[in-house]
Amino acid sequence: MRPEHIWNLTRFLLTTGALFGVWLLFSPSLEPFSLGAGLIGSVLLGALTYKEFIAQHDASLGSFMPHPQWLVVFLGVLIFYLYQSSWKMLGAILTGRANPRIVHFRTRLRSDLARMVLSNSITFTPGTITLDLNDDHLTVHWFFCNTSHAKLAGETVKGRMEQHLRKVWL
Amino acid sequence: MMLVREILALLFFASAVVFGIGGVVGLFRFPDPYSRLQAGSLAGTTAVVSVFFGALLLAPNWAIAARIIVIIVFFLISAPTGAHIVARFTWNSGLDPWRPPLQKRSGPDEDTDETERPRRRR
Repeated sequence: MRPEHIWNLTRFLLTTGALFGVWLLFSPSLEPFSLGAGLIGSVLLGALTYKEFIAQHDASLGSFMPHPQWLVVFLGVLIFYLYQSSWKMLGAILTGRANPRIVHFRTRLRSDLARMVLSNSITFTPGTITLDLNDDHLTVHWFFCNTSHAKLAGETVKGRMEQHLRKVWL
Repeated sequence: MMLVREILALLFFASAVVFGIGGVVGLFRFPDPYSRLQAGSLAGTTAVVSVFFGALLLAPNWAIAARIIVIIVFFLISAPTGAHIVARFTWNSGLDPWRPPLQKRSGPDEDTDETERPRRRR
């Protein structure tokens, strides 16, 4: 077998496995009919969508398979940031004090999935929304801007999330 | 034990109400799409996640708790993506971000930079 075929098969099997896992979770019965229907559906959907789920150029497992222990840590950090930023946002809504700016910076993360998760997480942190993600270049609307220094702005907005994400994905 | 869980769940539901109201107030109070998205999406996400956490505390068994966790993860992926898509279209349409009046600014007061002019694509 050529490497591309092995990679295609790996992607197909991973997608099917993930879909079947979700099916098992949401249909809590272990009857043969339920299992068979889930398996057929997972295989069909996996065959149709594995090219979308895992891009061909992500040719390493580390770029999309998370390290589970660090993923849990990251989710905890994310929830903490979510509440912290919501309190800050409530204060800004009540007082009307803000300094909205648009800042640009770059990220050190290499895989597509990790960058997507980073830009999603930035939308959670204190008053920031990712406007654009272009390769490693992020454009962010920052509601409580306190600097016009691009590198400093990047470090402040990304916070510790990027460091945590680097442990989860490549 | 059940009572403690119920009290904690009620606290989560109450905070969901507070965040939800805050989000709606922010939505009407701020003048431009970016700031409205900030208030609406962030407070809205926190409100819904709080409701899910309350439900997680009241979950009768592990199977239902696992499903709620999966729903939370899906919601954490989809909610900021929706806000990002709206913000991205606003940005691509070339809209300047709103600047609050000087006495209401929380950061440095320089206001003469021309570096933030939006790109004009169309």
